[in-house]
Amino acid sequence: MKRTIALVLATVMALSVAACSNGGGTTASSASADSAASATDSGAKSGNGKTYHFEVVSKGFQSTYWQAVYKGAQSEIKKLNDKAGYEKYSMNFVGPDSESDVAAQVQQFTSALNAKPSAIGLAALDVNALLASIKKAQEAKIPIIGFDSGVPNAPKGAVLANASTDNYAAGKVAADGMYKKIKGRLGKDKKVRIGVVSQDATSESITNRGLGFIDGMIEKLTADGLKVFVTGNQKYVGDSKGSTGTQANANVILEVRVPSQTTTELCATEAGVILNESDTIAIFGTNQTGAEGVVTADETLHVCGTGDDQIIAVGFDSGSVLKGAVSGGSMYGAVTQAPVSIGSTVVDLMAAAAEGQSVKDKDTGCAFYTSENIGSPEIAQNLYD
Amino acid sequence: MGNDKKAQKRKSSLTRTFGTQEVIVVGVIVILFLFFSLASQSFRRYTTVVTLCNYMYYILLMAIGVTFPLITAGVDLSIGTGIICYSIVGSYVISQMHMPVGVGMVVTMALALLFGFLNGIIIAKLDLPPFIVTLCTMMIVRGLGSILAGGLSGVWPMAGSPGSWCRSIFKINAGGKIIPIGMIWMILLIVIMSFVLRKTRTGRYIIAIGSNKEALRLSGVNVVKWQVAAYLISGFFAGLAAIAYACTFSNITPGTGAGLELDAIGGAIIGGTSMTGGSGSIFGTFLGVLVISLLKTGLPYVGLQANWQQIITGLVLIGAVTMDMTKRHKAAG
Repeated sequence: MKRTIALVLATVMALSVAACSNGGGTTASSASADSAASATDSGAKSGNGKTYHFEVVSKGFQSTYWQAVYKGAQSEIKKLNDKAGYEKYSMNFVGPDSESDVAAQVQQFTSALNAKPSAIGLAALDVNALLASIKKAQEAKIPIIGFDSGVPNAPKGAVLANASTDNYAAGKVAADGMYKKIKGRLGKDKKVRIGVVSQDATSESITNRGLGFIDGMIEKLTADGLKVFVTGNQKYVGDSKGSTGTQANANVILEVRVPSQTTTELCATEAGVILNESDTIAIFGTNQTGAEGVVTADETLHVCGTGDDQIIAVGFDSGSVLKGAVSGGSMYGAVTQAPVSIGSTVVDLMAAAAEGQSVKDKDTGCAFYTSENIGSPEIAQNLYD
Repeated sequence: MGNDKKAQKRKSSLTRTFGTQEVIVVGVIVILFLFFSLASQSFRRYTTVVTLCNYMYYILLMAIGVTFPLITAGVDLSIGTGIICYSIVGSYVISQMHMPVGVGMVVTMALALLFGFLNGIIIAKLDLPPFIVTLCTMMIVRGLGSILAGGLSGVWPMAGSPGSWCRSIFKINAGGKIIPIGMIWMILLIVIMSFVLRKTRTGRYIIAIGSNKEALRLSGVNVVKWQVAAYLISGFFAGLAAIAYACTFSNITPGTGAGLELDAIGGAIIGGTSMTGGSGSIFGTFLGVLVISLLKTGLPYVGLQANWQQIITGLVLIGAVTMDMTKRHKAAG
């Protein structure tokens, strides 16, 4: 009896796994929300001309941001194929379950190499963990194109080009947007606090953005003759331009908080602590999860807004929560990258590299948006739900 | 023996009603509350209570559920990644399939019950170690949630959007003041589940499985049925926890949730539920969860970096388990 049940259960499980997986085997998360089976846009080999297959390893699909990157890449493939008149390009787009799942990404990258693609797109979670595989790609002469945060500190010559936002510059854009709004509330006779909630202190794109914000803010404030004290997470305190004052004499305290895991609820706790300080005048969430933490915390506290007595919250990226908060006024503004353009640019670069053309880095840009310009076409096309 | 009787007589009426561990835990709660209030000005606010409640709902619901497998000398590790999986599938039903929020809740509950049942039937029928079985389902639901939702993060209705009535199950905004009415449901559930555990056949058999499963089997009781019941209860409450989590935090990240079950199990153990089975109380679990949630909300206020919070929570747990074991050794000696 027991054995029968065990057998039946094992069979059912194996079958359901087989039914759920999309046959690719390496795709931890398929990219499409509509059907789990469409991540592979397989190329029909019926055309007369040469065909190219691309493998793209992203950081995952946790936020709708990645979905927009995928859409941009997918439509660019279609565009190029339409232009060629046959299925010249095909692409397999994969990513790990979470942005902390370094091991899963290493595995996916290795599988991608084994597929012997014409070019490979990579948004690395942890460059050191991928080093061995990147070297293998180099030996096999498979061109690597970095995208989103790219592949920082990769061995020389391994990554031909990057399609990415300059995150440090994007962080400065956030500092700029916030500074304009809070300028009137700063002064040499005042002592205020600006908070930063960052989902982690390991991902290069997020730390660069946080550092860009902190450095940008320090520049603006010191130019005004104000003293700044940076406190909180050691990584940010250590790597930023650093304090120009002490805790006692600073006019502005920049407090950076990082939760122990990258979930909204933990980001919300950290954000809540900053929002609860009586001297806080502004707060920055360095990515979608961090910014959503700020929004979640404020739902209870009701201290954020656009008024002079309210805390000015600035976020990064979009998603329905942030869009709602910006239009509703509880979040003053946010910086959006151009995920659609990142997706299409990585495909363009891969196509060029596969044909042996020389390629170079492309900054895909970013912009600050508030409730006033959230509906404008140039912003709206890069906002996603 | 004579000494024991004397010692028992010396026990105050307080410890007799609530149990020694529960009295100690209440003391810990008071100390923690005083400590955080003195150490941080911004902790001493009404909104802190609301935040504390926000955290407590899903941990408490998971903990009430997991108390039952714990009492059978089992454990349910699948609840942490489970609540993320169930709520993410619920969000898929609501935001991608455009179904009403109620339907999303039903789907969430159905999935949670299914996995509770699967855990129970595999553990009881095949007589496999609960730790291993639920460790496996923990991994299965973690992957399944991502696959079923296409790897996308899930969004439940936010305040002000259609379907946001689900948020007011747990807190309502009364003239600018937020009232955590979810506590009413929590108290109600604590009372009901205490009754189930103490006064019904289900509860008594579940306790009996934990103290002496073989004796119970020999006396002709269908052990399999009651063991499955324990995991079904755990699944049911994981479903409720999934809804509480989704209605409080809106945004659910796939692939996360590992570790949330430890908050719940830790809460139950701090509250006096024995890891070796046979004893435990729902009220104790509530107190234990209060300690965990207090640490979770309070520690960031005293300027501790996130990783220190985990260390301190771990130390508190070691204290609780030591207390449980000393109690057991005393009882055995």
